[in-house]
Amino acid sequence: MNALAQRLRLGAPAALVPLGAVAVAALVGALVMLAAGVDPLRGYEAMFRGALSVSNIDFAVAGFTAILAMSLAFAIPARMGEYNLGGDGQLVAGGIAAAAVALSVPGPAALLLPLCVVAGALAGGALASVSAPLSTRAGVPVIISTLLLSTPMVALASYLVRFPLAEEGSPVPQTPRLPDAAHLPAFPGMSYTNVGLVLVLLVLLVTVYVDARTPVGYEIRVAGANRGFAAYGGLSVPRLTLGTLASAGAVAGLAGAVIVMSQPFRFIDDALTAPGYTFAGVAAALLAGGRPALLPLTAALFTILSVGAAGMERDVDVPRQLGQVLQAVVILVLALRVLAARWMAARARRAAGGRA
Amino acid sequence: MTGSTASGTAHGSAAGAPPAAELRGITKRFGPVLAVDGVDLVLERGTVHAVVGENGAGKSTLMSVLYGLHRPDAGQVLRDGREVRLSSPLDAIAAGLGMVHQNFRLFGSLTVAENVVYRAEPRRFGVLDRRAAERRVEELSARIGLDVDPTARVDTLPLGVRQRVEILKALHRQAEVLILDEPTAVLTPGEVDSLFVVVRRMAEQGTTVALVTHKVREVLEATDRVTVLRDGVVTARLTTAETTAGEVVEAMIGRGLVPAVNPRGAVSGEPVLEVSGVRMPAAPGASRVQDVSLRVSPGEVVGIAGVSGNGQRELVETVVGLRTPEAGTVRLHGRDLGGLGVRERRGLGIAYVPEDRPGVGTAAALSVADNLALGHHRSPPIGRRGRLSPRAARTQAAELVRRLGVKTAGVAVPLSSLSGGNAQKVVLARELHHEAALLVVEQPTQGVDVGAGEEIHRLLLEYRARGGAVLLVSYEISELRALADRVLVMLDGEVAAELDAADATDEVLGAAMVHSAGATGGGER
Ligand SMILES: Nc1ncnc2c1ncn2[C@@H]1O[C@H](COP(=O)(O)OP(=O)(O)OP(=O)(O)O)[C@@H](O)[C@H]1O
Ligand SMILES: [Mg+2]
Repeated sequence: MNALAQRLRLGAPAALVPLGAVAVAALVGALVMLAAGVDPLRGYEAMFRGALSVSNIDFAVAGFTAILAMSLAFAIPARMGEYNLGGDGQLVAGGIAAAAVALSVPGPAALLLPLCVVAGALAGGALASVSAPLSTRAGVPVIISTLLLSTPMVALASYLVRFPLAEEGSPVPQTPRLPDAAHLPAFPGMSYTNVGLVLVLLVLLVTVYVDARTPVGYEIRVAGANRGFAAYGGLSVPRLTLGTLASAGAVAGLAGAVIVMSQPFRFIDDALTAPGYTFAGVAAALLAGGRPALLPLTAALFTILSVGAAGMERDVDVPRQLGQVLQAVVILVLALRVLAARWMAARARRAAGGRA
Repeated sequence: MTGSTASGTAHGSAAGAPPAAELRGITKRFGPVLAVDGVDLVLERGTVHAVVGENGAGKSTLMSVLYGLHRPDAGQVLRDGREVRLSSPLDAIAAGLGMVHQNFRLFGSLTVAENVVYRAEPRRFGVLDRRAAERRVEELSARIGLDVDPTARVDTLPLGVRQRVEILKALHRQAEVLILDEPTAVLTPGEVDSLFVVVRRMAEQGTTVALVTHKVREVLEATDRVTVLRDGVVTARLTTAETTAGEVVEAMIGRGLVPAVNPRGAVSGEPVLEVSGVRMPAAPGASRVQDVSLRVSPGEVVGIAGVSGNGQRELVETVVGLRTPEAGTVRLHGRDLGGLGVRERRGLGIAYVPEDRPGVGTAAALSVADNLALGHHRSPPIGRRGRLSPRAARTQAAELVRRLGVKTAGVAVPLSSLSGGNAQKVVLARELHHEAALLVVEQPTQGVDVGAGEEIHRLLLEYRARGGAVLLVSYEISELRALADRVLVMLDGEVAAELDAADATDEVLGAAMVHSAGATGGGER
């Protein structure tokens, strides 16, 4: 009883912050809608309906799958204090690799499905892995190298889909439709929601398990808390960096593979990056704040914001960009809080050491 | 608490004059922990006032209240008889207070001079006058005999030198009330002596000093009054001149001291550790090591004495695998450790208690249990076939916390909520629990109270009695004498002297440590 009360008291502020951030975002959204002459209640209702109504849920779950995967791609290295902002590149690498394999290897579904998925994960993982030695050997921060490596990868995929892998005669840059054997089996009665969701949920379970219940998960947390302490304990920071980045890239690559192996079963230029899965994933991971088990919740929230925004545009004529604005507001509030905490700590430190 | 002190400070408070600073009925809680409970403390002008007590008694918390870092839940702070409201250290500084913290608060990327004059810079044409700042540091350090290079970057300096910088910083500001929270934990006896000469001189000129320390010798030699805290309440107020070491200890820990006995002479068998010809050049942030050789046998404690920054840290880091020497070998049980990393060496039987507790020995944000698990997390009962049992980690942590008497609200709380001495016990508990063939310890009793210090000495001697080999780096001669069989003195990266512990008197060791005075502190270029 006493322990519970204590836990609640200690836990409350930390849990309140993300809720506060969401509340602020909701308020900002309401103000924007008011300014646009739209009843906020109707606006939000349209947003929820856009994501969750029977006719839209199928599509929304596919978005959820991608956003959840991208939130993992950010959250895994974030556990050791490294930030992966190259999700777009890794996502696209996975998608194009899966498409290439599907289009060039003939075979039955039993062979092709795992092959494509693995190819996607490997491609994403390989791209992200490059940032590990860049950081541990050359001192280039992961946050920068992942971001910088992302752009050329997106451009490369764009080239591939225009030339070597292009569908002949198509007006849009896209690959031909993948053979049936490379279509992920959809859930009964659904067309977008498929086995991909199961795969990503499995990855989530593994991540939560590794984080809390394995020596490696412990080592990653130690490295995130104090590098000096990690080195002193004999942990290999380079190896942990490589491991977390490779896993993160692999999850992003998996998401890319899942997208091209779902409706409409092709790699279409821009189709992977335009919906902003990476950004929504980063936001979801930040909102979950180092608690991997919360990712499904926060990913669901950002799915509603990004997928539901289209419904809102259709029903009440508020531009769908509002969804992205709200995501940005959530991140901004979280960042402001971190900055405020830093600022206060710095002020206290300065004060502790200085004369007024 | 009336009348002037027997030690005859020139400016002892005249009857009726208000004390320089006073705390009345201070209470401070951290969640369920009652850290300070209704404490009164009177700091009379021109006196040096010792604040002593066991680890976790509330000393740092009380001093932080006086310095405006913690807002008390109840009670008043008075300066010169008037109540002051301190909502931040800025207010405290404006009120003429200064503080040297137990955990340093320096800017690692700035130079010594920049840190010392920070926020009280000598200016020329509106910008920092670097030369003047450096001269100021040289002048201050010459005055108190603490050798520091004003142009060195702070993050390249060994801990003992950083401590000197903290002290210089406080002196530079010429606070009227100076709070020193364990300023001597990582200083050598000679440095401690010169610091106290300065403190005494400042007190004679009217500065009031509150000194937190665990060392009874310092209480007796440097202070006028003593306030003893236990579990957040004052248990004794003493006048130094009228008290004895025994009385102070008794008041602090509620019993007398039974110094650990050092039964020498059980050394046996092949050496556990053999270091031969280890050499490395000086580098930014690292002192040189010149051809050092030593061996430690089972059942033996080899002590390394010396002023901080004479190559001890570099030598130790070479042994544990955090640093690669330019030449020379390190052998464990006859096996060359060259090319092996920290993990392999730990696996072969090396445990290590590092000097830098916040930077290396612990992770402040992780729980006590997580801090105690490092190095044990891949072996039963915590780790088993690729799995880690958080429950086993908690159980083991609770057992270690109990065994070493760590004062903590539980094993799930972050390490940052522990007092300095209790965090030190966490490090020791973790490393002793390895039962490794070789235990490398730097400053094992830094920041722990006398009772716990005695207990730690006993644990280390038991370790040795079980056949363990211990390499001990300490700045405290009494500690070296209490524990070591042989003492090596390091000076400018060389072993300047090797003594049998029985011959290692204060005079002999003290002389060897500063043998050629010009060379001390020379490592921190
Ligand atoms: N930020 C905090 N959160 C929770 N508990 C704290 C915090 N700071 C101190 N405490 C607790 O308050 C008590 C007093 O701590 P304090 O640091 O004042 O002890 P101390 O007398 O300075 O000990 P030491 O000699 O070991 O430095 C301890 O039980 C400690 O665990
Ligand atoms: Mg303290």
